Amino acid sequence: MSTKRITQLGILTTIALIIFVVELRLPDLSFIPGMKLGLANIVTVYAVYRYTAKEAAMILFSRILLGSIFGGNMSALIYSLNGGIMCLLGMLALRKILDERRMWVSSVIGATLHNIGQTLAAIAVMRTTAVIAYLPFLLVAGCLAGAFTGLCAQSVAGRVKAR
Amino acid sequence: MKNIKAKLVTAIAVLIFTAAVWCAVILMRGGSENVKITQDGKLLYTIDLSKAKDQKIEVEYKGRKNVIEIKDGRIHMLEADCPDHICVDTGWLENVPIVCLPNRLVIEFEESGNDAEVR
Repeated sequence: MSTKRITQLGILTTIALIIFVVELRLPDLSFIPGMKLGLANIVTVYAVYRYTAKEAAMILFSRILLGSIFGGNMSALIYSLNGGIMCLLGMLALRKILDERRMWVSSVIGATLHNIGQTLAAIAVMRTTAVIAYLPFLLVAGCLAGAFTGLCAQSVAGRVKAR
Repeated sequence: MKNIKAKLVTAIAVLIFTAAVWCAVILMRGGSENVKITQDGKLLYTIDLSKAKDQKIEVEYKGRKNVIEIKDGRIHMLEADCPDHICVDTGWLENVPIVCLPNRLVIEFEESGNDAEVR
């Protein structure tokens, strides 16, 4: 991997991390406490389309790990990680079908998979299905947030020349 | 290719619709009188809110603490020493269960159906 490449990945990870930490400080946006827009995924969506699968995974996992350390909430790591893995796999599969002008569609599906992955992890850890009650709310919000982050990523991609 | 795209968009539309209906079902689900408190999959308390007197219940998990409060026939999480305080912010128990992910604590209404008997 060239130095230029490593630098790019480092910068993208940093941007994602800054967005993540700033978003943690924002007040709750919805009536479900703890629900977030997931703005850091603008970088994830962009990386999925402009970098290799391995590179996109490196950015995402560094951000999730460092984000939960900086956020001071290590107990949330397992949920973010499971959501992140499902979201990443889904979007990597979709990037072959949906081109850059359809990034937002891919992002919506990624957000949905993220919510499902989070909920599955919560069911496994908490050993109760009570948490499923949150899933439909997460899905509706996830679709909206996913479309928004996807459109942001698309607008970034439009301004950055493809390799 | 066009076909797949159309299918994906349809799938998303169906998903949003299903999720919205599911939300409505959960929001319309009335609360019963019986509340159960579970931690780590184990049932700790079953409480009849109509008969319970005002009280505070302390629950510990691996050295961390939650305080549950029952007042005027309602129940909520009063304190939690986790960083996010999501369970406290959830407020009084209404439709969705109160969940504390870090301490694996759940406060929920017992389903009135016969499938939820865990005792």
